[in-house]
Amino acid sequence: MQSPLEHVVLFHVGPVPISEPVVVTWLIMAGLGLFAFLSARKLAILPSRTQTVLELFVTVLDDQIRETMRRDPAPFRPLIGTLLLFVLFANWMSLIPGIEPPTAHIETDAALALWVFVATIAFGISGRGLRGYLDTFVEPSWVMMPLNLIEQITRTFSLIIRLFGNVMSGVFVVGIVLSLAGLFVPIPLMALELLTGAVQAYIFAILATVFIGAAAGESEEIPLTAKESE
Amino acid sequence: MTIDWWTLGLQTVNAAILIWLLARFLFRPVSEIIAKRQALAHADLDAAEAAKQAAEAEREAAVAARAEISARRAALLDAAQADAEREKARLKEQAQAEIAEDRRRAEAAQARAEADRRKELDEQAGYLAADIAERLLRRLPDAARTVGFIDGLVVAVSELPAAVRDRLGSDGPVPVRAARMLLPEERATLEARLAEALGRTLTLEIREDPELIAGLELDATNAIVRNHFRADLSRITAELTRHD
Repeated sequence: MQSPLEHVVLFHVGPVPISEPVVVTWLIMAGLGLFAFLSARKLAILPSRTQTVLELFVTVLDDQIRETMRRDPAPFRPLIGTLLLFVLFANWMSLIPGIEPPTAHIETDAALALWVFVATIAFGISGRGLRGYLDTFVEPSWVMMPLNLIEQITRTFSLIIRLFGNVMSGVFVVGIVLSLAGLFVPIPLMALELLTGAVQAYIFAILATVFIGAAAGESEEIPLTAKESE
Repeated sequence: MTIDWWTLGLQTVNAAILIWLLARFLFRPVSEIIAKRQALAHADLDAAEAAKQAAEAEREAAVAARAEISARRAALLDAAQADAEREKARLKEQAQAEIAEDRRRAEAAQARAEADRRKELDEQAGYLAADIAERLLRRLPDAARTVGFIDGLVVAVSELPAAVRDRLGSDGPVPVRAARMLLPEERATLEARLAEALGRTLTLEIREDPELIAGLELDATNAIVRNHFRADLSRITAELTRHD
């Protein structure tokens, strides 16, 4: 059994080694991008079944962002929604035999967490202003500044480690059980991985939302939810 | 465990690209179509609200129009009622006038009938009175039926115009009718009194005429002098039956 901690370089582009997680990520990107492109071409006022599912997803995502951040969800929707979808489908790639989820490799999780870290800073500055954002590091008093700075780093690492640990451990367990018990025994574990993958995707997205929301602060004007607006 | 920095870098770029891809082709179009549908729904709701307001306004206008129609109807009914009352009063007055006119005509006719009846009764009474008087006078004594009338006849003759008196008896005997034939002494008295009144002697042709009841009548060619009850009754009857 191959360890998920090892990197399998599939090919090189010049000096750049292209590892398996990158290729699988490209596949996911291609699938999601193609699906989004094809779906967006057929959007209409009277929605099809697929469009209804997409609109339901976007609406639920907006409600979740709005309830968590107490802000207009539009600026955060692409990042949070992409994180949710990518982590979800990346986690579920473990169901395809011979393919390891990109999220089982720490580089992928680190890349995602890096964008969350950057977005936290960017939305924090745009939401509060540079001075306001920096003031958040000395709350409730300047004594807490070191801890607040460390928290920025540690919580980003917690994002990375949480996702990486859960997915990698699932891949490990399924691989060990598969090597020991045979073909069909890991199926319940793989089903459990489906649930675990969805939960981890939700956790990653919701934590990113919380971090960004905490940095950006609440809007003075709380936007209405979709249900309330109706 | 080592970190492959190339993989980290590529995944970072991949994540950025995927965020752009999904933002461009998924989240933006879907959110736009949702917003568009919401805008249409709001527009429909606004249109429905406007239609509701218009319908409410029309309903209020209809209520106002109905009230106006009711008021107009009431006014027309009142006017018709007033016209009917006026027409009723006019017809009543006309009927009363016609009734009064008919009553007046009836009263006039009744008065005329009463007058005619009274006239007829008066005539009948006159005739009856004359008849009664005639019957009573016929019971007078014979002497009273002639002698008492000589003086009246002489006075009447004496009151004739002189020319008439002068021509009396110029063309022969003067006819004299008496209620009964005069006795010789009664004839002599009559001739004597006439001669005294005329200044000359008249030749009389006396004949009996019971129709005179009582009295004398001188029938000359140029004058008639009546002094008898028949003439008096005729005059009285004429007076009684005269209706001016």
